[in-house]
Amino acid sequence: MPRRKGLIISDEQMRVVETVLDKLRRVTGGTLVALVSTSGQPISTSPSESSSDTLSLAALTASSFAATRQLAEVLNEREFTLLFHEGKESNLHVVQVTERILLLITFGHDTQVGRVRLYTSRALEVLKPVLQSAENSEEDDALLDGDYRQELGKAIDGLFSSDD
Amino acid sequence: MALINLAAREINYKIVYYGCGLCGKTTNIQYIYRRVNPATRGRLVSIATEEERTLYFDFLPLSLGTVKGLRTRFHLYTVPGQSFYNASRRLVLQGADGVVFVADSQISRLDENVDSYLNLWENLMSLDEDPAKISMVLQLNKRDLTDIFSVSDLCELLNHTGSPVIEACALTGVGVFETLKTVCKQVIARSNET
Repeated sequence: MPRRKGLIISDEQMRVVETVLDKLRRVTGGTLVALVSTSGQPISTSPSESSSDTLSLAALTASSFAATRQLAEVLNEREFTLLFHEGKESNLHVVQVTERILLLITFGHDTQVGRVRLYTSRALEVLKPVLQSAENSEEDDALLDGDYRQELGKAIDGLFSSDD
Repeated sequence: MALINLAAREINYKIVYYGCGLCGKTTNIQYIYRRVNPATRGRLVSIATEEERTLYFDFLPLSLGTVKGLRTRFHLYTVPGQSFYNASRRLVLQGADGVVFVADSQISRLDENVDSYLNLWENLMSLDEDPAKISMVLQLNKRDLTDIFSVSDLCELLNHTGSPVIEACALTGVGVFETLKTVCKQVIARSNET
């Protein structure tokens, strides 16, 4: 059985992604635009400063989307490709970009949903090919060399030293 | 495999705690949350029923800071243990770099442990993961109780991959960090064995 490949995004691909996310946030007046993996990990956000809440948002969005897919299955629908949560102060809009990547955008009531949908679908046209090529990347993870693993081992010992 | 962002110089690993209902998966995560340096942990998210049984998952991000220029995080998840939540379990397992199989050592929980172990294999294979190749640690929980299986009996039943075995009592924290440390190190060791 072949081992699943990781998702490796190069500098160049990330520059394109960041530009698209920033522009999408600007034109929609969104509060946060983020790319997250379907396994729940954030890939890139606009604004770029991510907090621990962004990590929770990524994990919950991915799981919510996964649950939606199961709902589609139960309803014999091929797939639901969009998820929308409407709140009193803010809304959350999630769309699938590739098999393994989702795009989420949060925005307030001063932004029209139609505007978000329109600009999101335009952003997808640019993001899709870039991220599909990142998923199929043959580039290996040479960054994770022996030095990195050794240092990380020490960091793990440090972090978990308060055992028992 | 891990999610690597070269531009942001960031790497995220996903660790999933698996096992039958009430074996102590959430207890492990809660202990880690309480005892780890608060500066390194994110928000503990739990999607549970009113009776505090896990409905979907628990989630705890841990940051190891910057290692060799790479911001490194471990994301810890638990799955719901009850048998009827299999769809949720499979979803949470997706993209896992490492798995901690938490076994309930009590003799009365034999069937549940074995069912859950088989279910883990089944779900990994359905996600195109080779159970023999994923980083796995077997945690034998509730060692403080009476009427429990011996370590060798449990290993024979639940460790077909020769994974490291840790005896634990998640409630008091015995073996909790050792388990996490072991699975994290395994994940790193295997991270470039693709």
